[in-house]
Amino acid sequence: MAGVGFRRWAQALSKGKGSGISALLSGCRAASGLSKDSLPGPYPKTPEERAAAAKKYNMRVEDYEPYPDNGEGFGDYPKLPDRSQQERDPWYQWDHPDLRRNWGEPMHWDFDMYIRNRVDTSPSPVSWSTMCKQLFGFIGFMLFMFYVGEKFPAYQPVVSTHLNARILFSLFFCWCFFLTVTIFSSFKMAGSSFF
Amino acid sequence: MADYREAPLATRPKTLDPNEYFNLSPEQRRAEEARGALRANLKRQYQLQLNNPHRKELIEDPALTRWVYARGNPYAHFRPTNKTSLLGAMFGVVPLFKHCSLLTRCLKEEQIKAGTLERKFSLSS
Repeated sequence: MAGVGFRRWAQALSKGKGSGISALLSGCRAASGLSKDSLPGPYPKTPEERAAAAKKYNMRVEDYEPYPDNGEGFGDYPKLPDRSQQERDPWYQWDHPDLRRNWGEPMHWDFDMYIRNRVDTSPSPVSWSTMCKQLFGFIGFMLFMFYVGEKFPAYQPVVSTHLNARILFSLFFCWCFFLTVTIFSSFKMAGSSFF
Repeated sequence: MADYREAPLATRPKTLDPNEYFNLSPEQRRAEEARGALRANLKRQYQLQLNNPHRKELIEDPALTRWVYARGNPYAHFRPTNKTSLLGAMFGVVPLFKHCSLLTRCLKEEQIKAGTLERKFSLSS
């Protein structure tokens, strides 16, 4: 009895086409959620398959274009234009305003990359050539100037330290003198009650 | 801005986009109308579910489910080709060997210190 059960389980496992833990356990998928024909499938080869896939993804048959079939795992998922969500109209009443997406709209394969917090393909305000010229021009100019500064250094002129100390001391003395003069004259002008 | 060239992988501004000015034939307009009809149908389905007073559960988005399923199960449609095998080897196999050699360098160090390792002189080591 147990032997028969084990053989049946092994047969079901080898024939099962599901994925994940459910495949390991019973070789079939959960019955809740979407049915098998509304989930992504293999690459469509005939025009009928293409039409069915376009209908499944809520797209026009002319708009539907699957990824090229080179074994990279896309199946029949549609190849949508590589545009970020930042480019979409900010004033339209989207069903999900932060994602700028409507319910049921086919999602780009890299949708989580193209959200507004991440990669942005919106047009740049200045043309590419101007941006390149400004950036590399500035960096080149700064590099050149630093190179010239290395080759021809310029230093501040310095007098002898003893003389420097004498100059500083005399300056300090003058400043103290003028400070006291100002204080006296301000008291004199304000009123002679002090003196 | 007649010579505006957009950044690579970015788009042109809408006012410089030729699509705005040249795609006006009846076929194009019909195509736009068909797309609008699809969008309106989806909008209607969503609004009916959203404003249904007897609804207690979350509204399930089949497009989201399909996207998650497609992203989660690429190996069902995987096929080893030249490109996929090369990528797999580059990202999966070569790092293992590289890590192994980097981690076992200390073993070679002892041999070098003891002088037992033969180190030939060659211009390209």
